[in-house]
Amino acid sequence: MSIKEKARELLEGEVDGVLGCRLVGGSHLPHLFTAAGIEDMAEDYPEGERYPIASIVRRLQTEDPGVRIAVVARGCDERSLIELSKQGQVDLGRVVILGLACEGDLARECGCAEPYPSEIVDGQRVEGVPDYSLVEKMDRMPADARLDFWLSRFGSCIKCYGCRNVCPLCYCKECALEDAEMVERGRVPPARPAFHLIRALDMAGRCVDCGLCEEACPMGIPLRTLYRKVGRVVEDNFDYRPGRSLEEKSPLAVLGTEKDLE
Amino acid sequence: MGENDNGEVRILAFLCNWCSYAGADLAGVSRLQYPPNVLDIRVMCTGTISPYHVIKAFQMGIDGVLIAGCHIGDCHYIKGNYMTYKRFQVMRDVLKFIGIDEDRLRLEWVSAAEGEKFADVIKGFTEQVEKAGPSPLRSGWEKDPAQWERIRNAFKPLETLEPA
Amino acid sequence: MTDYRTVPTVCPYCGTGCGMLLEVSGGRLAGVLPQKGHPVSDGTLCIKGWVANQFVESPRRLTRPLVRKGGKQQAVPVEEALALVAGRLRDTVEKHGPDAAAFICSAKCTNEEDYLVSKIARAVVGTNNIDHCARL
Repeated sequence: MSIKEKARELLEGEVDGVLGCRLVGGSHLPHLFTAAGIEDMAEDYPEGERYPIASIVRRLQTEDPGVRIAVVARGCDERSLIELSKQGQVDLGRVVILGLACEGDLARECGCAEPYPSEIVDGQRVEGVPDYSLVEKMDRMPADARLDFWLSRFGSCIKCYGCRNVCPLCYCKECALEDAEMVERGRVPPARPAFHLIRALDMAGRCVDCGLCEEACPMGIPLRTLYRKVGRVVEDNFDYRPGRSLEEKSPLAVLGTEKDLE
Repeated sequence: MGENDNGEVRILAFLCNWCSYAGADLAGVSRLQYPPNVLDIRVMCTGTISPYHVIKAFQMGIDGVLIAGCHIGDCHYIKGNYMTYKRFQVMRDVLKFIGIDEDRLRLEWVSAAEGEKFADVIKGFTEQVEKAGPSPLRSGWEKDPAQWERIRNAFKPLETLEPA
Repeated sequence: MTDYRTVPTVCPYCGTGCGMLLEVSGGRLAGVLPQKGHPVSDGTLCIKGWVANQFVESPRRLTRPLVRKGGKQQAVPVEEALALVAGRLRDTVEKHGPDAAAFICSAKCTNEEDYLVSKIARAVVGTNNIDHCARL
């Protein structure tokens, strides 16, 4: 059964709406379909048009806590939803995931470890080719060259907050990046490297490597390389990967036991 | 936080009220000598130290940050220092990736009875930070022409950078 | 029931014309997303674009002409406001010459409106003192 067929079936009573895409002038735009409008749901999923689906689900649930939604979700969307659920931001009990596996070029080039959700409805599963080559290259550089590089790239930041706005895991009502004491107001580029370090460390144990941040950066700052390093640090130190499991809590979210300190 | 006086390194030490701060106090009362480059900040538990504090310290131009808490198992709040330890691992590795040397960030467990250990830790850490030199983010770094030039030359796509 | 849809549009601010999606939820503007694949902006926005929806329902938005009377701003009919502005402008130009007046137009106006402002400045008042908020 295709995603759209499954969606039609779910709309017969199991869910109130299906979050998918609608074709408008050649672009695939996020849209919540009800039973009345489900025929307009697009049936292809172009690789260049990924949106922060998990954020939309979170906001829909906040507006209407009782709403039941089915959502077309890629691997990264599902990981985001799992993490958001663990952090109390999304009620997965009211979400049905219509799994979409990323195919071909997207799966290989996007570079996440698992470009497929846990249950696939549409799309052929392709093994991910996680690309840590840039992280490893940076690791081999001397410290002052590394700092010069990051300071130079952070220097082109225009403080658009795109990386934060588009991130499915960013939901703080009071954001540290807008705090006058952490980040001086009215300066562009913002405090280097503090601005990007704040986000990087906040992403520890939470970033699911969806890559929306780097796509949203107008200045081409290699954010994903930085956040991938953070993810690797957490994995190497605590054997934890965000979004992998609903039961596993992030080691940075719980005090834990003495065993965890090894 | 202005220019470093006399070119001496400045170290910020976060000390927990129950253990390391008392240990520092003991060192003082025992008249143990240690370098004066340290600025102490007393916190109730090192578990309350957020990565934000450390980031802010380095952003302000501090040359070294020391976090000293209770030994594992002795935390006044039972497990606060578990968080400290975990956060420290992440901070150390990520700061190193950005280019802030891991020699500039240190975590130690110092109990209230360990006045001598406190003095030794400060001596050792001060030497370590002095060897690492003044922080590349010291006040005024953006106006240093040599640094500016190096940063400008580093503005390249990551793919084209030479590893070493 | 919650509804959610996105409407593609162009950012109302500067002349770049980045593509964005207005998120409409529960009949209200809920937020902004950059439009992926857009030929101009390719899925990115500057800070003004990211908050472009906020002015629509902002409590600080000007919805009626306000004139300061007796030290306080008071809402007045449009005709009164226009008469006041036109009268003061005329007086200023008569007393101090055309270059005593200056005009600023805006990226939030249409190109046609900006053109009219430039015509008022140059043909009606007789000054070259015209600029645009994008230059500030």
